[in-house]
Amino acid sequence: MGELTAIGFRPGQSVLHRLDPRTKQMLLMGLSVASMWGNLTFLTLFTVVMMFCVSAAGLRIRRLILEIRYFLFFLCFVFGVRAIAFTGGWTPTLRADAAGEALIVCWRLLLVVIMGLLLMSTTRTADIRAALVWYLKPIPVVDEKMAATMVGLVVRFLPVILFQGAEIADAQRARGIERRRNPLIRLMRFTVPLFRRVFLSADELAAAMQARCYSEQRTLPELSFAWRDGLAIGVGILLSSTVLLP
Amino acid sequence: MSIIETSHLYHRFADGTQGLDDVTLTFNEGEFTVVAGANGSGKTTLLRHINGLLFSESGTVTVCGKSVKADPFAARKQVGMVFQDADSQIVGETVYDDVAFGPENLSLERQQINQRVNQALAAVDLSGFENKMPHHLSGGEKRRLAIAGVLAMAPRVLMMDEPFSNLDYPATCRVLSTIIDLHKNGHTIIITTHDLEKVIAHAQRLVVMAKGRIVKDGMPAEVIGGIERYGIRSPCSVQLGRGIRPWVN
Repeated sequence: MGELTAIGFRPGQSVLHRLDPRTKQMLLMGLSVASMWGNLTFLTLFTVVMMFCVSAAGLRIRRLILEIRYFLFFLCFVFGVRAIAFTGGWTPTLRADAAGEALIVCWRLLLVVIMGLLLMSTTRTADIRAALVWYLKPIPVVDEKMAATMVGLVVRFLPVILFQGAEIADAQRARGIERRRNPLIRLMRFTVPLFRRVFLSADELAAAMQARCYSEQRTLPELSFAWRDGLAIGVGILLSSTVLLP
Repeated sequence: MSIIETSHLYHRFADGTQGLDDVTLTFNEGEFTVVAGANGSGKTTLLRHINGLLFSESGTVTVCGKSVKADPFAARKQVGMVFQDADSQIVGETVYDDVAFGPENLSLERQQINQRVNQALAAVDLSGFENKMPHHLSGGEKRRLAIAGVLAMAPRVLMMDEPFSNLDYPATCRVLSTIIDLHKNGHTIIITTHDLEKVIAHAQRLVVMAKGRIVKDGMPAEVIGGIERYGIRSPCSVQLGRGIRPWVN
């Protein structure tokens, strides 16, 4: 199960660890939006900054690639769809102009994902949740504390659900589920017990939270902006402004 | 001095099964009680009533003189409950976050929360684990983390539902010694189990349940004779005629 959550919070004292989670979320949102219009200059500079951040956060590039391997396959698919055309029947041809554009799109997506992983690996989920409460507070229709608790629980329980799924799959393989040719039956045999276990766990979790006096009026982690947050936002603005360069 | 009282408690589940049937019990402060019974005898249902997670159709439960039905929040502050499945009880992403969950719900100041977290982790010998992810811990460590999560709320009573299930020998010993230490430090302990072997030598009272009823209640040495008829295995030392002996030294 550890493999599923290798990119979780890793304690540390790097610059990224010490930034306020609100700053990190702001940079994530701002730079993600900026990257939609990002040209080659922006993307090159952004990549350099990201490489510095990955190194500062103590993440190993090899491990990072391993963690996002499925996403990399997805990017290859996106590249293929955008760059390869079928002209004159069933023969695929790579168009140079479309390939350039596809490469830029994939590059942008990759940088945004790396930014997200950096946020997760350098910020406790409790802090991410507290920052989320701070951002959602001015929105009148949203119950910010409930929303933040839900986000926290999803982060906490996703690995558990995946683990339970893997366990059920193993148990079914041990009883020869592969001999069933009908994929629909295999899917049903897998999903029904998985959902039952997930719902039972959710029920038990709700009872456990109640037993520990869960209420929405909770003490949240203390957040405070420091000079380094101003500096990081300044760097983010400078970086974003390069989208205006030719 | 009594701290928990149940009086003529009844509970029927949605499928018609009688979970509790006229349960009247008193737990005294500082007492170490084992509630034993076969699967489905009503042990967990009883704990859930005391913790205000279930409410009775008839009968009353009071904690420190206050009705649990009227103020479940107050009951939960006084009575901490450790669930059988530690995985479903642990809600934090790190050990610190999980232990801090209870005190945060009590809206304590951050400094006080940190103090309570440190004390609770020290009490279960998990100091230094603050930044570890709970699902990377061993079964025994998870169980002790679940106990720490409850201890951080500073309850007067600790209720544990099958605290030794799925634990290996060393982990069982660690959890057991943690429980014994907590009792020595003045906590009231209530443990439910179907396996008396590990814990009975340390208990001052044994309550036996069957089909939702209290069938025996008293000092362990007096109650343990013929306990097999309720689906509970007698400790080996009792079967060998040596009386109740501690499972660990």
